[in-house]
Amino acid sequence: MAAGKKTKKTHESINNRLALVMKSGKYTLGYKTVLKSLRSSKGKLIIISNNCPPLRKSEIEYYAMLCKVGVHHYNGNNNDLGTACGKYFRVSCLSIVDPGKTEF
Amino acid sequence: MILSIAREFINGFWEKRIRAAAAAVAMVKFLKPNKAVIVLQGRYAGRKAVIVRSFDDGTRDRAYGHCLVAGIKKYPSKVIRKDSAKKTAKKSRVKCFIKLVNYQHLMPTRYTLDVDLKDVVTVDALQTKDKKVAACKATKERFEERFKTGKNRWFFTKLRF
Repeated sequence: MAAGKKTKKTHESINNRLALVMKSGKYTLGYKTVLKSLRSSKGKLIIISNNCPPLRKSEIEYYAMLCKVGVHHYNGNNNDLGTACGKYFRVSCLSIVDPGKTEF
Repeated sequence: MILSIAREFINGFWEKRIRAAAAAVAMVKFLKPNKAVIVLQGRYAGRKAVIVRSFDDGTRDRAYGHCLVAGIKKYPSKVIRKDSAKKTAKKSRVKCFIKLVNYQHLMPTRYTLDVDLKDVVTVDALQTKDKKVAACKATKERFEERFKTGKNRWFFTKLRF
């Protein structure tokens, strides 16, 4: 859950898995929809960028603690997370609803 | 050929079960009755409340997830040992509110409050003013007796912000 020193290899694999989820699974991007997916317990994994404001980050972590969903702190800021999702905008937090073809 | 179809059918049968089981492990709904929440918006912002009934998919009038909460409008004051019985009675008074609140305007907490308010706090208690007053009076009694037992102390302390 909490990232220690991330090696290059695991970072690549997260990016690969994220690309696969974008292609084959269901996800929502953005703080409001992340909270919505947590409230309706549809989220399976939450990914937060490292420059997410700390109050927002702890709020998402608290919600995730209440519904026992994992949170992954992405090793990169919201620009990198947006690029990893294949989008041309920044993404600070995203929620994976259905992993599609990735193994969980 | 029939065997292969049967096998695929059986595999499909189990796959759905396994997926459902895996999904069930990850999902825990937490906006349930008896959950303590903090109201974030509106006149009662910053007040603690307890969910009495939740409408996850909304109703026809409110097409969003919302819930019926009963909360504390005026917290009981701090009761000290020196107080006389009359003073403690006066200080332990609680003023309540009943409201339908959007999920977005609530902050759920890890606390719960086990007070049976389901018969008292209902949606049709909100229709007319005197029904609402009667319901508020009843919840006020239940909250006050819970406060006097000294349990759920977090719920009855004012949130400082």
